[in-house]
Amino acid sequence: MGGNQSIPKVTPQDRAVLDLKLQRDKLKQYQKKLQVILDREHEIAKANLAANQKDRAVIALRRRKYQQGLLSKTDGQLEKLEQLVSTIEFSLIEVSVLHGLKKGNDVLKEIHKEMNIESVEKLLDESHEAQAYQREIDEMLSNHLTLDDEDAVQAELRELQAESLQKAETRQLNNLPSVPRTEPTDTVVDAETGEPEREHERIPVPA
Amino acid sequence: MALSTHTTASGFLLPSIHSAPPFFTQQPNASTQSIVGEQWIRLILAYARHRNLFTLRIEDAETTGGDWDEILRNERIHRRLLPSHLSFLFSEMVSKNIAVYEPPKQTRSVLLYWRLPEEWAEVLHGWAISTAQLNTILTFYEITDPPIESPLTGIPVTILRRAITVLNKTGRAQIIGVADGEGVRFFAGT
Repeated sequence: MGGNQSIPKVTPQDRAVLDLKLQRDKLKQYQKKLQVILDREHEIAKANLAANQKDRAVIALRRRKYQQGLLSKTDGQLEKLEQLVSTIEFSLIEVSVLHGLKKGNDVLKEIHKEMNIESVEKLLDESHEAQAYQREIDEMLSNHLTLDDEDAVQAELRELQAESLQKAETRQLNNLPSVPRTEPTDTVVDAETGEPEREHERIPVPA
Repeated sequence: MALSTHTTASGFLLPSIHSAPPFFTQQPNASTQSIVGEQWIRLILAYARHRNLFTLRIEDAETTGGDWDEILRNERIHRRLLPSHLSFLFSEMVSKNIAVYEPPKQTRSVLLYWRLPEEWAEVLHGWAISTAQLNTILTFYEITDPPIESPLTGIPVTILRRAITVLNKTGRAQIIGVADGEGVRFFAGT
């Protein structure tokens, strides 16, 4: 060993965990042994009974009972040991989680350092200013255009208006009713649009 | 007699050669014996893998009732492997490095490498990963005798130690020793 960096050092905690686990294994092995004894005593009791030696069978069963008590006691101890081992392992994980959180926090802090409120405000102000400036330029440019060309535009507008007016007038002249070729009848209403108006104007006069 | 394969009580398929009487006799001709020996070694390793057996003793050929009866004897043709022949096979296997004398300095019992320590190392590492036991300290007992059966159940500590040594060399395992015994810790490796 030595050259490889990926292998972490053996810490006292590691040794403690290993010690506990070894103890646990020993307990497990002890339980195995007890189980063997239990089975054996059971067999002995059976054999004694078969041989009609009742008191011997009772003694074997008594011993069996005692071993059974031991087994349940070791069960309790085993539970405690395993609990301790899991607690230690869990704590180690908690430590690593804490470590991870710490690192994350540091990174976050560093990022925030680069991004403090003052500089953000400054940045926002600057961008506001830049926007305002842009708007000013926009206005200036558009104003400039209208001021210069306003007269021309207005003149054009007037020209257009005049033109359209003139057109309308000439159309109206063309629309005048032609002279009737037949003699007027009594009925006043004519199909022509212009006539009824004149008729209406005329009617009130005689009335 | 027609040679045919035979399925044993444990579900192992014996090759047809196992029904040939000369197969059980050590051949005086060296080249013939080398072929017979090769077949025997293959059969022994396959059977060991099938039954998850690790040790083979001369005793197994001398007496009945052992784990190896199914292949060391063939009652159907009344043949058995003689201890001297088995002893010869032992030396052959040891020289080919697919078995070692265990305990060392005797020739009556061997530890079979139906997986080489390097292959066991991979199995071990794979097991540690699949059960999420990387970076956890494990005792040898925990590996050889896990509460839930694993591919490593019953592996002899000698082989386990060799496999861990292999992993240690590649930086994937670390052996931790305390007064009471030893433990191991696995790493993801590179």
